[in-house]
Amino acid sequence: MSVQWLSVQSFQHSQDVLSAINALSIHLKLAAAGVSDEARGEQARQARATLAAFLEELEPVVTETERGGATPVVGANPRLRQLASSFVKAKHNSYRFHSELFRATPSRLKQLLASSNVEDRAALLDCLAELRVLMEEHVQTDTERVLGEF
Amino acid sequence: MVRDLERLGEALHQARAGLLPELENFYLWLVAECDRLQRDVTQNLHDLALGQPTILPDVLSNTQVINRQLNLFNRYFLSPVLRADAEDCLCLRLLNWLHAQHASTSHLPVALNDGDFASWPYPDFPTIYFMPPSAQRRLLYLPLFFHEFGHLLYACHKPEMDDLILALQENLARYLAAGTQRNDLHAQKEQEHRNAIIQTWFDWGQEIFCDAVGFVIGGPAFANAFSFYFRVRGREQYHSKPEELLGSTHPVTWLRIRLIADRARRMGFADLADELESSWQTIADGLNVREDYYGLYDAALLPVVQQTIDDMLTEASPRPFEESEVGSAASAPLTSSPILLVNQAWEHFLNDPESYSAWEITATNLWMETTRPSQSGEG
Repeated sequence: MSVQWLSVQSFQHSQDVLSAINALSIHLKLAAAGVSDEARGEQARQARATLAAFLEELEPVVTETERGGATPVVGANPRLRQLASSFVKAKHNSYRFHSELFRATPSRLKQLLASSNVEDRAALLDCLAELRVLMEEHVQTDTERVLGEF
Repeated sequence: MVRDLERLGEALHQARAGLLPELENFYLWLVAECDRLQRDVTQNLHDLALGQPTILPDVLSNTQVINRQLNLFNRYFLSPVLRADAEDCLCLRLLNWLHAQHASTSHLPVALNDGDFASWPYPDFPTIYFMPPSAQRRLLYLPLFFHEFGHLLYACHKPEMDDLILALQENLARYLAAGTQRNDLHAQKEQEHRNAIIQTWFDWGQEIFCDAVGFVIGGPAFANAFSFYFRVRGREQYHSKPEELLGSTHPVTWLRIRLIADRARRMGFADLADELESSWQTIADGLNVREDYYGLYDAALLPVVQQTIDDMLTEASPRPFEESEVGSAASAPLTSSPILLVNQAWEHFLNDPESYSAWEITATNLWMETTRPSQSGEG
């Protein structure tokens, strides 16, 4: 009857998203540097799918959060609502967050994930790097709840 | 980290000799996962050796991901194997049986750990169930696992479940908005209050669903276990301040009892429902507590809440108790199903508490004999 299940689910979900960001980011950077990384090709493809599914889940909650209290944020657990809230705050913090992800909507990153154009690679990498910052800050709360503080 | 993983692998290897058969699937998953972490570390070291400065932030983040995962393993996943003893078999067999009854969970291994009742319901992981040590060797509180199993069913059917709760929240929004016409600062504050109520119901809906799963699977045994476990825990089970209710993850337990009683009544257990409500009312009177949910719930919401939970049950399809497993079925032959066992336990406990302890030992031993893995092929 403990609430820890919510922190555990959020922790693991964030871990999966972070792994996906890292795998895809390394794959794209090595490709840009001309370093062969064929072994990670399938992992990178799965990472794109994982991130697209994550953005699909996040986007409507971000949209509702941006309405600023005029309507309730429905269909989302408290941790997802907190992540959406952090996302909206990040959009207003152009000093720390200035990639296309935070200048537009999560849909923009979905478009970049689906793109095979080399010209989109830099923008995609910028988005991934900043999404990682957001996710690492988010997972910190769950880590403290699940693993405690030292 | 490499050495930590090697040590983890050695500990697992040493535990193999005395492994309980009921933990076999969990153990195999643990070994495979330990191998996966070792591969991730090796890959990370390989990436680092490439000498590409641009990927260093990614490698560092990967190191942190692996480190957190390793901490999680050390803290929670290893101990169910290292601490296991023969006394865990009762809980583990019930949990293995429970997972095996449902297509969406039959592939998920189970493990048991010490703690207050809880679970880690993640559909890509084995499910770890937590139970207070004092309850682990007894029958009476085993049905509380059925509530925890509800969280796993929710996780396995998450998109559909989320949609159903979203529809409930929209219904609540319409109900709460009815009659509001003002358009000033006060109205804005009222709107924020209504929003907080509606958002709170996202988590409440899941908890109420899990209670319903508990009753559908365990029948009266679940209702009695739930009621006895919580009813003398303290005033907070009966009442919370409005500011504590808003944003809470669990409804006040008294409200959950009301909803379990309503479900019991609708499923033909009127006497049980009356007994539940009356015993909680008696204790509430003793505590001088008045039932009040401060606008987060009132009786007019019961039909829409229960309809949502009914739809969620249809989606998740928990194995319902059979008539022969509950009520007056005390003379039915013991089977591998633990539902009869836990219902017999509560019947016996409520009717003849003096002789219960002796009966519990005999009944448990008999069930353990009936369900010995080599005979039933239980996984």
